Amino acid sequence: MHAQSPGRFVVTRIRDGLGILLLVTVVIFLLGYGLGDPAALMSPVDATPEEIENLRRLLGLDRPLYVQFVDYFGHLLRGDFGESLWQYRPALPIVLEALPFTLLLTATALVLAGLLGGINGTLAGFWAGSRFDRATNFLTVAAVSVPSFWVGLILIAVAAVRIQLFPTSGFTGWQSLVLPAVTLAVVHGGRIHLLVRSATFEEMTKPYAMVARSKGLPDRLILWKHVLRNTSVTVATTIGWEYVRMLGGAAFAVEVVFAWPGIGQLMINAANRHDFPVLQCAVIIAGAFVVATNALVDIGYRLMDARLRVA
Amino acid sequence: MTGPMGIERRSIQQDTSRGGDVTMPVSKLVLPRAAVLTAVGLAVALVAIGPWLELGGAFAGTATRPVVLTITTEPATLDAQAVNDRHSRVVSGNIFETLLDRDRTGRLVPLLAESYEAVNPTTWRFRLRRGVTFHNGEPFNAEVAAYSVNRIIDRNYRTTRGSYTVGIAGARVVDEYTVEVLTSGVNATLPVQMTSLPMVPPRASQQRDFAWRPVGTGPYRFLGWVRGREMRIAINDNYWGPKPTIREVVVRIIPDKQTELLALRAGEVDVVLDLLPEQIQLAPKHVSHPAPEYSYIAFNTHKREMADPRVRIAMNLAVDKERLARTIYQGHARPNMSQHLSPGMVGFNPNLRPFPYDPARARQLLAEAGFPQGFAVVLNTPIGRYLKGEETSEYVAQQLAQVGIQARVQLHEWTAYQNLGRIPGDRPGAFDLKYGWNSNEWFDGSRIIAHITCRGTSSKICDPRIDELMTRANGTVDQRARDEMYQQVWQILNENPYSIYLLQQNLIYGLSARIQWRNRLDDEVRIADMRLVR
Repeated sequence: MHAQSPGRFVVTRIRDGLGILLLVTVVIFLLGYGLGDPAALMSPVDATPEEIENLRRLLGLDRPLYVQFVDYFGHLLRGDFGESLWQYRPALPIVLEALPFTLLLTATALVLAGLLGGINGTLAGFWAGSRFDRATNFLTVAAVSVPSFWVGLILIAVAAVRIQLFPTSGFTGWQSLVLPAVTLAVVHGGRIHLLVRSATFEEMTKPYAMVARSKGLPDRLILWKHVLRNTSVTVATTIGWEYVRMLGGAAFAVEVVFAWPGIGQLMINAANRHDFPVLQCAVIIAGAFVVATNALVDIGYRLMDARLRVA
Repeated sequence: MTGPMGIERRSIQQDTSRGGDVTMPVSKLVLPRAAVLTAVGLAVALVAIGPWLELGGAFAGTATRPVVLTITTEPATLDAQAVNDRHSRVVSGNIFETLLDRDRTGRLVPLLAESYEAVNPTTWRFRLRRGVTFHNGEPFNAEVAAYSVNRIIDRNYRTTRGSYTVGIAGARVVDEYTVEVLTSGVNATLPVQMTSLPMVPPRASQQRDFAWRPVGTGPYRFLGWVRGREMRIAINDNYWGPKPTIREVVVRIIPDKQTELLALRAGEVDVVLDLLPEQIQLAPKHVSHPAPEYSYIAFNTHKREMADPRVRIAMNLAVDKERLARTIYQGHARPNMSQHLSPGMVGFNPNLRPFPYDPARARQLLAEAGFPQGFAVVLNTPIGRYLKGEETSEYVAQQLAQVGIQARVQLHEWTAYQNLGRIPGDRPGAFDLKYGWNSNEWFDGSRIIAHITCRGTSSKICDPRIDELMTRANGTVDQRARDEMYQQVWQILNENPYSIYLLQQNLIYGLSARIQWRNRLDDEVRIADMRLVR
């Protein structure tokens, strides 16, 4: 099973990641092209075919598809993502302006989700069947089942409109971070909770735990000294996967609800007005983060796993 | 697997806990303390932070904060000559001005021009207002006006406003404050076109940053734009006209309609555009008024089943428009007068009325036309584009079913809808029925030409009488004569309907308690029209 050495595995994983990124680039280019014609979209309903054709020419969309792709890819290799069709600015800085907001939001949410899901999940697994377990389980299933935008709207209605503790939306300072981060954390923390709970429960019932128990070691020490070491692998990988999920779109829905100026909002706007260069750039950058996180999770998992085997 | 193991584990717990029972393992006595402490700690922290938050929060509704408007999509550019979407106009419409404008009732009035006349059939002369300067100090004069016209019609200038400048051939300077706009052929709509042709300063508009640092002559000047968040404008103290009362305005981008409303309720914002009818009771205040927006379902008259005008009249009679307006739109719409015009607009025909709701007569007409059993059609509707468009389509389909016509509602993503919708009626793949809104921002009968002439870009009807009248009206400068011709066009379009005439829609704005605003018929959001109360 573990034929590859860790070093070799890392190299393969990075190579695969780059391959996937290349594929993403091709797919997003074709998808953008297949989505429709920006010139037709942006023209009024009663625009004549000549007007649309002229706009297409000005946007450089009248060239054959392969020419556009070769041109695009050639520039891409030089780090040039092209220029926004309407903003008259290069696409990369537009995306880089928005990126820190998405990273701030997702990182904060991830820490909250990790704490929420990790601690509660461990405790729930430890006290399996208890009232705490049943209560958290109920809340978790509820949190995982409802759409995140709904959680967001409820939070806004309560914490921003009713008691006016936080701003409803936008970004005016760190207070603005609280509600969107909590919204994301609730949903993703819920999923972490479920996985960590079952992992903890399973570990607590494994033979080594029973042996420890038979030695007279109290349960909390079994949890602390043995079980947590094993479940921490689950926690780490789950958190990694949840991060991928967030950047794969979950965070973007929350960004829209909270008018958060991140790349989710940027992408939706760019898609709506078919601003291909911006859309492509945003997807590739987000894709790079997803691929990198995936690779890190995989590599981390292998390394932790290997160490555990040695230990 | 976990079941038996769980039981096993419980029993071990029981062994290790002295005198404990099944539901109370010993460990529970130790760890909850940590949980309780954490909870208490969090609560204390929240209570401690709470007041400080309120003190430090710049978001709380205070009397001194600027007036805040919200839009759901961020403008791509604020160069008012490049794009013309409603959301960018909320900002650029207060910065830029045009030669002609409309008053609140929709009448054509001079703005940066003082007067205008047609000196010959293809030349319009505008006398310009003196003493107007752009926000950056560039003077406004005939040279600037000519430059502005020539900039927008330049084929190498990237604009989506091409259809607004059709027929304009160029502009030339006569003297410092007189400019002539030339048309290719007779173009009676030129004055109307000048209401959507913003004047731009030659120096600033040649810079690339004009797209995000707009400079105009209007009552507000541009202050700044934080991407993804907001744009700021402030009063132009050197404005040539009456000074507005609101000094500083923030236009925030909130993509979600529900969040917009919640922000209005929280006192963070003052004006929300395009409220939904069901949101009204939750807004502190609102204004709702008829807009030049007409919803319709266009027929493909080239389709065999709908070739006979009697069938199309029957379909108009089959739909209860009163009930549609009352239920789905909660009264914020009314049956339209079987034309895409309102009283006061050029070409409005005062003799036309909504088709009455008369399913019995509809069935009879269908039988006469040879379709006593009705027929099947597809009704095409875009997703999420028009307020209640999907619901309206379902409603109409149900009503058509009552007279035997089986209409299947087909939803399309907007781009697909636009591309397919443009297929002319006599070509394969054209829509049978197409739900849409026609917005007549020109207040003029000519605006609909693409939909009703034989070779119109998205037309699905061909009636030589209409083509003849539309061509003649476009070649006539005399407004009264044009008015009569467009009235005749609509008369014909009722005898030979091109669409099911549905409603004239209202636009609804949500307002905070401190804003007083009666907005204009043309739905331009002019902040100069707003007042702060209290």
